[in-house]
Amino acid sequence: MYITLGIVFVSLCYLIFVSANIVFRNDLELPNAKKQTDSQYRLVFITRDMDTTFWNKVGSGAARQAEIEGASLEIWGSYSSNLDEFLKKLELAIHSKVDGIIVQGLDTDEFKELTKVKAAFYGIPIITVANDVPMKASLRRTYVGSNQFQAGSLIASELLNDMGAEGNVVLLYDSQQEYYQKERLNGIEETLMKYPNIKTLYAETSESRDQVISTMRDVLNQMPDVDAFIAVNANMIGPMVQEIGKRSQVEPYFIYTFDDGPESLPLLNEGKIDGVIKQDPEKMGEVSVEQLIKWLNGETVPLDINGYFTDIHILKDVKK
Amino acid sequence: MISIQKKILMLTTVVIVIMSIIWITLTFYNYKTQVKYNDILNRYLILNDVSRSSNQVITDLNNFMIQPTPYNLRKLERSKKMMESAKYEVFNVRTEVNQFTLTNYIHLMDSLIETTDRLIGLERDSEAAVKDLAETTRIGNYISDMTLTLIDMELKTHEPFYRGIMEQSIELVKLGIWMILLTSLLLLMATYWFSLSITRPIQQLTEAASDISKGRFDKEITVKTNDEITFLAKTFDHMRSNINNLIQQIKETAKLEYELQQNKILLQESHFRSLQSQINPHFLFNTLNTLSKKAYLEGSEEISDLLVSVADLLRYNLKQIDRSVTLRDELMIVKQYMEIQKARFTDRLQLQLEIDDSCIDVEIPALTLQPIIENAVIYAIEPRVDGGKITIRIKNEADFVKVEIADDGMGMSTEKITQILTERQVESEGHSTGIGFSNVVKRLRLFYERKDVITIESTLDSGTTVRLKIPKKRGEKHD
Repeated sequence: MYITLGIVFVSLCYLIFVSANIVFRNDLELPNAKKQTDSQYRLVFITRDMDTTFWNKVGSGAARQAEIEGASLEIWGSYSSNLDEFLKKLELAIHSKVDGIIVQGLDTDEFKELTKVKAAFYGIPIITVANDVPMKASLRRTYVGSNQFQAGSLIASELLNDMGAEGNVVLLYDSQQEYYQKERLNGIEETLMKYPNIKTLYAETSESRDQVISTMRDVLNQMPDVDAFIAVNANMIGPMVQEIGKRSQVEPYFIYTFDDGPESLPLLNEGKIDGVIKQDPEKMGEVSVEQLIKWLNGETVPLDINGYFTDIHILKDVKK
Repeated sequence: MISIQKKILMLTTVVIVIMSIIWITLTFYNYKTQVKYNDILNRYLILNDVSRSSNQVITDLNNFMIQPTPYNLRKLERSKKMMESAKYEVFNVRTEVNQFTLTNYIHLMDSLIETTDRLIGLERDSEAAVKDLAETTRIGNYISDMTLTLIDMELKTHEPFYRGIMEQSIELVKLGIWMILLTSLLLLMATYWFSLSITRPIQQLTEAASDISKGRFDKEITVKTNDEITFLAKTFDHMRSNINNLIQQIKETAKLEYELQQNKILLQESHFRSLQSQINPHFLFNTLNTLSKKAYLEGSEEISDLLVSVADLLRYNLKQIDRSVTLRDELMIVKQYMEIQKARFTDRLQLQLEIDDSCIDVEIPALTLQPIIENAVIYAIEPRVDGGKITIRIKNEADFVKVEIADDGMGMSTEKITQILTERQVESEGHSTGIGFSNVVKRLRLFYERKDVITIESTLDSGTTVRLKIPKKRGEKHD
């Protein structure tokens, strides 16, 4: 009788202890309130190709550097080159009066209007990264990324190396004619110009997949004896290789592109393309934040208007 | 002494205190939770407030642009002020998680206000005004969007907190159930012990009362508590001992009365017997005297003496039996009696007297020695052909006189001795006075008020000795 009572008593006490522990637990605090506005810089990094390998690397590099510098950085952006959304984010950043904007350059009037008029009105510094827009058109403080002209030269000389000084080359680029593409084209042109036996065909198309495919079809019809392809806009390499593959073997062709498209590196690993210009996206992120903060702190005023160039080198298909 | 009332009060107080503690704890807990809830709700309300007031600003701005009246301007100013006050509230919502977005949010509001101010100053239909109006609308949309983002962020950051609160409220119900069970258990036990502490003494008291009602007054009543029951028990015990004493007294009185009664009955019996033999005493004495003289005259002296002895014996017997006489008188009458018996038994009866004359004046009830000797004659001499010897010894001791009557007859069985000494012997025929042995024992004991006044010692076939211890001072009681 007493033992039963004792057991009941003890077990009740235990249950009460357990329940009370949960009920009166104090770890359920609201996140710490912050009354003080931090003096740290608020930076925004905006891209229109969120969640691609290249831009993720730029973003992580920027975030790492921001942490080192003690600035808070947010990565905004749109997916799959959604321009409206991208511009909206940029405008939002400007209206939010952030301390600095690192942006993937876009060579359109809307973009330039925003950077030149609005950002300048609020006094917000803008650094373009990876894709540049000319200083005069955008009033950007500086550019951080590869020297696209040099990249074009590099890819062209690599082509000459592989193919020799004679052949037909197709340059595929998009009709937007962005500044960085122009630079790349210029670089390629300048190198290839010296070799009169090399014939180049400029294929202009819009960025949509179907358009790329149909343009490729036309090109292949026009110039059946083509030897090499260069996808100046890296986003086009996927449909391009696909279309070539439909007609014949991919291997005999010399195919080159840049690494800022989502399909570039996988295709290189598969051996479908011959060379990729490898840029250094993490370095771009790091340097852009570093330079922006230097400017904000007044350490480097003005920034180098020509830009801060990061490494480029060529990645070859090892199987060949 | 803790009274029962105090005990009840104590129990009730403990219960009230326990309940109060539980109640206060729960109330405090509820209050805390309420504060948290209010805090959370307030955050959402603040954010919502911003969104609403910014929309209001845009609406008023639009109205003003369409109709630039002072009334619309006042309305616009008022909604702008409202938005600014909402902006200051937003600072309270700032946390580590949302500070970036929140700063943007605040700046967006600033931008809206700036654009609005700029717009008020502009020409109504100018291109810049149209552009700025579109911009305010966009900023307004950004604010609304960001409000949603912030609310979403709030939800995400606070999700564990909300889940915790839900878990806690479920656990609180459980806690309540366990608490009720534990409290009930404790109360039941406390009440059980408490009631036991009241009922147990009452039960003890009841048992004592039932004992007393059965007539057992000698059992002491003990109740070990420290309340009113002890007082009751003490009083009760006092009453019991009083009753016990009274009963004891009554018993003693009754015993005394009984003894008196016995004495009287014995006396009456003796009277009756003496009256029986008093039928015509003077005639008998005269006749015996005449016979004695006649025998003497006719030369038979022996018969004459015998007749005198018979007459003396008769006279002695006829005197009042409840008088006290001296041992000397008793011895005289014993001698007379023996004279008569000698005439009957001649040589068969031998009497030996060893008497200390210094002490024979002690008082003794009448007719005590004679029946004992008669008894000895009847049982020790009569049945035997060669007769026997009876010895009477009187010795002077310190406090009493020792009288021994010894015979050398067949002796008595122990049962018979006990019969005699417990005064139960039925009177047997053949006694001259009609007074039996046990009558003598009774009278002696009544007279001296002590039991050891007579002892009998007997061995079969070698005789019986009856010893009397006669105190020199009468009424001296021995244990």
